Amino acid sequence: MTVSSNEAPAQSGFSLRALLIRQEFILFVITIVGVLLLATQSDKFLTVDNILNQGRLVTEVALVALPMTLIIITGGIDLSVGSIMGVCAIVLGYSWKNLGFPLELAIAFTLVVGLVAGLLNGLFIVRLGLPPLIMTLATFALYRGLAEGISQARSVRGYPDWFFEMGQKNFMSYEKGVPNQLIIVVIAAVIVGIILARTPFGRGLYAIGNNEMGARFSGIPVFLYKLVIYSFSGFMAGMAAWIYVSRVSTTRSDMGTGLELDAIAAVVIGGTSIFGGSGTIIGTVIGLILIQLLKNGLALSGVKGDSTTIVVGLVLILAIVLNNFIQNPPEWFKRRFASS
Amino acid sequence: MTAILELENISKQFPGVKALNDVRFESRAGEVHALLGENGAGKSTLIKVISGVHKPDTGTMKIEGMPVHFDNPRQAQLQGIATIYQELSLYPELTVAENIFMGHGMRRRMGPFSVLDWKAMNEKSLELLTSLNIHDLDPHRKVGALTVGNRQRVEIAKALSLNARVLIMDEPTAALTEADVVRLFEIVRLLKQRGVSIIYISHRLQEVFDLADRVTVLRDGHYVDTKPVSETSEDDLIRMMVGRTINDLFPKLPSEVTHEVLEVRDLCCKPLTKNVTMTVRAGEIVGLAGLVGSGRSELAQVVFGITPAESGQVLIEGKPVQIKSPAQAMELGVAYVPEDRGTQGLVRQMKIRENVSMAVLSTLMKGIFVDNNAENDLADKTIKQLSIRAYSREQVVNKLSGGNQQKVVVGKWLASKPKLLIMDEPTRGVDVGAKAEIHRLISELAQQGLGILMISSELPEILGMSDRILVMREGEIMAEYSRAEATQENIAAAMMSDAVRNMNNQRKLSESSKV
Repeated sequence: MTVSSNEAPAQSGFSLRALLIRQEFILFVITIVGVLLLATQSDKFLTVDNILNQGRLVTEVALVALPMTLIIITGGIDLSVGSIMGVCAIVLGYSWKNLGFPLELAIAFTLVVGLVAGLLNGLFIVRLGLPPLIMTLATFALYRGLAEGISQARSVRGYPDWFFEMGQKNFMSYEKGVPNQLIIVVIAAVIVGIILARTPFGRGLYAIGNNEMGARFSGIPVFLYKLVIYSFSGFMAGMAAWIYVSRVSTTRSDMGTGLELDAIAAVVIGGTSIFGGSGTIIGTVIGLILIQLLKNGLALSGVKGDSTTIVVGLVLILAIVLNNFIQNPPEWFKRRFASS
Repeated sequence: MTAILELENISKQFPGVKALNDVRFESRAGEVHALLGENGAGKSTLIKVISGVHKPDTGTMKIEGMPVHFDNPRQAQLQGIATIYQELSLYPELTVAENIFMGHGMRRRMGPFSVLDWKAMNEKSLELLTSLNIHDLDPHRKVGALTVGNRQRVEIAKALSLNARVLIMDEPTAALTEADVVRLFEIVRLLKQRGVSIIYISHRLQEVFDLADRVTVLRDGHYVDTKPVSETSEDDLIRMMVGRTINDLFPKLPSEVTHEVLEVRDLCCKPLTKNVTMTVRAGEIVGLAGLVGSGRSELAQVVFGITPAESGQVLIEGKPVQIKSPAQAMELGVAYVPEDRGTQGLVRQMKIRENVSMAVLSTLMKGIFVDNNAENDLADKTIKQLSIRAYSREQVVNKLSGGNQQKVVVGKWLASKPKLLIMDEPTRGVDVGAKAEIHRLISELAQQGLGILMISSELPEILGMSDRILVMREGEIMAEYSRAEATQENIAAAMMSDAVRNMNNQRKLSESSKV
């Protein structure tokens, strides 16, 4: 019955303060500042061509970062997405070249394989109660091993021209314009974002992440929801494989190595709690943009590859520290500023 | 016989409750002293004071006439006070000897170092166990591989290795088989002969008469009396334990009892639901009484589909159903307000609105999206209907008081328009004012035609609210009383006494012989 007095006021329409302390907003500001700083170092950086091209390059990470956001919101993790992408890339090439599938069928088959690989993760996590970290660590190794086993270290090349449309061309085949795969990413992000924010399914994911038992006791089909998100994660890794193969014109078994870490980094920088229970798609999208532009901007400024990785790591730490600081400010900070 | 341990005027206040109020207690060398009381009477707090876990707010404690103060359990141990808790506190990955000597290992010199003397410890462990007539326990074995009975013997040996003069045993027989109980009693008698003072807590009254010399009864944190066991009887003890006053309760409203909403027949789900047969009718409040661990919540969770039944029948409004999940139970009109609000009832980090709509969100839709207006209306309506004190539906549930949190859980389930509402300890951790409100609410819901199954450990609540009372013990329904028949004494007797169990068994036997 006692209500502490220093809480935020009830949501009565628009609240500037509520917006200012949103992690997404802070990230957005960091991104803008970073971009402007980097723009002073290289005149190639802040050009439409370059930015759109970065969109092309970030597609694979972005596609798996979307389901990763959902999974991390439920308190889980999926370390196997990079390996699923590897196995899917191989399946695409192998089923077309060696099994003689028409390429259209091979693509569909690849997506199904991705879905099944994710479903398998989900089944073990739900049915046997394995911790997602352990289960997907196991399939991280298993799927990569499968990819290497099937490929026998041979790459597949010689795809027909129409196949490169997705990965290398722009919308409506304009010479300059929006890369095809970027359109897919944007559509996917909008759909997933809306599902997460506006449907009972999305609400259920937050409930699971905050208190799985409470969610179950409220009649939320926890097991079904988990199966759906892990399967979706596998499916999107399959999509990423298709688009990646189309972009680089070849198939190799080491494709997607490290993809899971890039995706998780983007999700966490985007404000999704690694402990589950909170996070948004818009945050993840800003996280993706921040990382990609940072990498690109630094490279254009003449920073060597290794140093770029170090900077990305530092930004990750900074983003999390800053977020903790704003969500739980220390006493001295509250006393000085929170009275407003 | 002289007193080893004396406590005078002990009081202990926790936020919101006075757990102990001017309690005294005394135990002598070579006696078994039983400590009795209902759930929440203050037994646990008292033994935690004795064993140094809690510091009393007032009062004195003496050991052999010398005043003592314990800042931590270690100091109590050094004074010869050992406690064997209900959940045994051993390390499963360590051996018997390692567990016995945990924290006070024997040492020997090796050059300039003092090292642990495993040989001596293993020998000493064997000696301790042998002195307790335990000959089938190898000190080298890992504790995790032992049966519950053997683990308990390790605990006792550990207490002896600390030269315990006072040994506190908290419900030591709760998890034991019959054979293990017999052996435990032998060991307790052996310790008694050696002059150890044993404080014995149990809900099984028969054990008190078998084993104890004296008995002290607590009630609502107050000291009631201490008597030699030979001068008392089961009825006498029950009367001392339950003589609680019934107040602060909203008088139950009359309501019309109609058709059966729930019927279960021979419902089984191991280990704590055994052949349960019962009914709940529309408009009726059925009280389900029993000790903690008697299988009441487990029964509720079987009906609600969290642990689906292994055998037996469930009928909702006369129709046989199979309930396999909470979602399905909800569809059938069953709602469950669980005992543990924090982990089961609510998602406390989320808002009132989100919690209230959680079970019914898929019905508040506009197309494929959640209808925000419908959800807001539901939350506002619930807050108003149950007078939940919050400044907004957007308030995070965590920030509400216990009573208001409970109302949110109730509101969530009322939104699902149930026919049967199962409430598990509906007023636990709720202040007096909110308690009365929840009682009124329960009563009103019954008046509106809901069937209510109310689980409670508070006898006054059971007696004050129920039309009919079922008593559970060890997973079975032991007795059934109408509102008119029920008294604190006969309910408590059915909860605890073996006499009722025997009667019940005989009744079952005679019923089956008739068939």
